[in-house]
Amino acid sequence: MANQYAQLSDVFHALADPTRRAIVGALGHGPESVSTLAAPFEMALPSFLKHLSVLERSGVIRSSKVGRVRTCELVPKSLSPAERWIAEQRAAWEARSDRTATFVENLHQENLSHGKRKLHSR
Amino acid sequence: MANASSTPVESNDLVISRLVRAPRGALWRAWTEPALLKEWWCPKPWTTEVKAFDLRPGGAFHTFMKGPDGGTSDNPGSFVEVVPQSRLAFTSMLLADWRPATPWLAFSAIVTMADEAGGTRYVARVMHPDKITRDRHEEMGFFDGWNTCIDQLEAFAGDLR
Repeated sequence: MANQYAQLSDVFHALADPTRRAIVGALGHGPESVSTLAAPFEMALPSFLKHLSVLERSGVIRSSKVGRVRTCELVPKSLSPAERWIAEQRAAWEARSDRTATFVENLHQENLSHGKRKLHSR
Repeated sequence: MANASSTPVESNDLVISRLVRAPRGALWRAWTEPALLKEWWCPKPWTTEVKAFDLRPGGAFHTFMKGPDGGTSDNPGSFVEVVPQSRLAFTSMLLADWRPATPWLAFSAIVTMADEAGGTRYVARVMHPDKITRDRHEEMGFFDGWNTCIDQLEAFAGDLR
């Protein structure tokens, strides 16, 4: 279970980025060469390869090289598509809630220091 | 709750809960003042533009996010319930004044805030229709047909009744 959770965290991280989600979307149609995958993205190839390596380390995709062509494919068992989609949504909302909490706590601290002054002036 | 929808939807609900060490008023402000909301809405270095924020049932809630690589995410929607200082519900399936939408991502979200020792209990419940989720997997990220949207609207209307 703990192991499964660690893997989920990697998958959350992998899917937290819109470019990587688009790559997963493209691979949903079947295996694809790196150059074909990269073509629609207005991004330098090294940046694109970084995204691929994050996906590959998380186990969401795998790749193999034949001659000079590297081909990527989804790993069906990494998570079922349903789980992956929900994981993506959860990752986005967990992160958003963390940001909300941090922001509000900072806001409150600022209010406390300003509020004291305001109380006196009223 | 009475529900006209025949499929159980709870399986796709995301419930995210945080104890925020600040009073409810501060949390409400962060959510309802666009200048504050845009500070936390999306992960940096992405930035948020609040295109519409009309805080009333049927009022537009439209955010537009921009990424460092030129990526964008356009998220129109509207509020469906506003209870000051305690509850906010919004959806991507309706635009301003209840005009139906066919969003790229169908969801409704209910945000609640309640006093709790040490601060405020913040709970976000995000609901996705079962059917759209299944369909999305078959197509991995592509739009669903009209039927799905109509199903969602029916389910949604059923909940509103």
